[in-house]
Amino acid sequence: MTLLWQPSAPDHVPAELMVDFDFFHVPEGTGDPTEIWHGLVRRGVPRIFYTPYNGGHWVFLNYADIVEGYRNHEIFSTHQAPIPPMEPFPVMQPQGIDPPDHHVFRQLLAPMFTPLAVRRMTEGLQLRAKELISRFALNGACDFISDYAAKFPTGTFLDLFGLPESRLPEFLRIANSFFRSTDPEVRRANFVEIYAELDGLFREKERNPGTDIASTIVHAKDADSRQHRWEDILNCGFLLFVAGLDTVTNTMAYVWRYLATTPAARAYFRERLDDPTAFLLAIEELMRINAVSNLFRRVTHDCEFRGVRLKRNDRVILPNTVANRDPAVFDRPEEIDLGRKVNNHVTFGVGPHRCIGSHLAKREIMISLQEWLKQIPEFELAQAQGPLSAFGGSVMGFESLKLVW
Amino acid sequence: MRVLVSLAVCQGHARCEDLCPEVFATDEVEGKCVIKQPEFPPELEEKVRVAVRNCPEGALRLAGGAGS
Repeated sequence: MTLLWQPSAPDHVPAELMVDFDFFHVPEGTGDPTEIWHGLVRRGVPRIFYTPYNGGHWVFLNYADIVEGYRNHEIFSTHQAPIPPMEPFPVMQPQGIDPPDHHVFRQLLAPMFTPLAVRRMTEGLQLRAKELISRFALNGACDFISDYAAKFPTGTFLDLFGLPESRLPEFLRIANSFFRSTDPEVRRANFVEIYAELDGLFREKERNPGTDIASTIVHAKDADSRQHRWEDILNCGFLLFVAGLDTVTNTMAYVWRYLATTPAARAYFRERLDDPTAFLLAIEELMRINAVSNLFRRVTHDCEFRGVRLKRNDRVILPNTVANRDPAVFDRPEEIDLGRKVNNHVTFGVGPHRCIGSHLAKREIMISLQEWLKQIPEFELAQAQGPLSAFGGSVMGFESLKLVW
Repeated sequence: MRVLVSLAVCQGHARCEDLCPEVFATDEVEGKCVIKQPEFPPELEEKVRVAVRNCPEGALRLAGGAGS
């Protein structure tokens, strides 16, 4: 794996569109990593700008442009798009494939993530939430990240993949190293370990299939009635590993951080424990305001976009948190309105690569919050939060979040 | 009033189903929009309008009365 750094600005970028911005860097004292993005908007930087950091990339700041970045796959590809550039990077199935070919794995996964399929998981999710919370509910304190938000989605992943709960510590360790390490050597070793795990898992499910997702993927047939390429099978497993863990963990971190500091919001949800429709609507607003993901695209050919010259292989970042507070689209964008009526946020993206796990993610968060409020109706941030724990990058969040009650 | 969906545009966000389950559902295979009641009663009009406005893909459209 090589990091292809391009330290200086490329020739096609005019000086007035250059801004120094490192999306991994959260300055000390910044409590909320999404603020590094909103700070750009407040400074009045161009709505499409180029930063030389992290290999050099564009940043889109308007809702309309971010949505176009998602929808227009003829210009903005997901294939080999990581920032900073990292090659070779696994071609995640179906996320790293442009339409129409991405349909093969998208259609394979889709039935397992429909709202109907996710509703059938409710009981298992409730049991997991209840059990995890009961471990510390009587302690009066927890570190929300390590005691709950990291464990819950990882447990869900193990369940979906037909793996025993006993593998949890091992998967937590691998996932943590994958999401937090920036050392190329550590990352390389981590990739090898993840792929070895996936290989072993799919081999096992090939021999002894169950009703889990891994078995479905490994036994699915392509157009010629043959098993899919082994590489694609592994890359699909890799996608589900990458996409479903850290995103949910950190969205939960943001949500619990907000609730810990907002008594009225805790009361709002408590009063709606028996009203799933209103509960879900309010969760949708929390999804808008707590968008932790910044997505990557690669420009497929030299072209002009909104009057800006783009070159083939230029990288682009689509920061959902900025789109979700665009005053051109949202009424009172900075206000958290748990009954917000029109809420076209892009937290799960739009277009052909709309997050396939969005219904599962929302249900995981909804059920976690319901079970939490039943056992821990009141809670707040601990006075001592330890060293600075906020981080930026493609998924923003917190290393630790200490709560007391 | 009638409500129509373009399934080529729908990406299965299911916001319509969340907001107005009387009229909208989602299918088992792709999770895309299924309109259970294309011609809905007037008392559901406000809910359907909210669902249409909340489609992140703009896949839903309202049309006039029956036959139009």
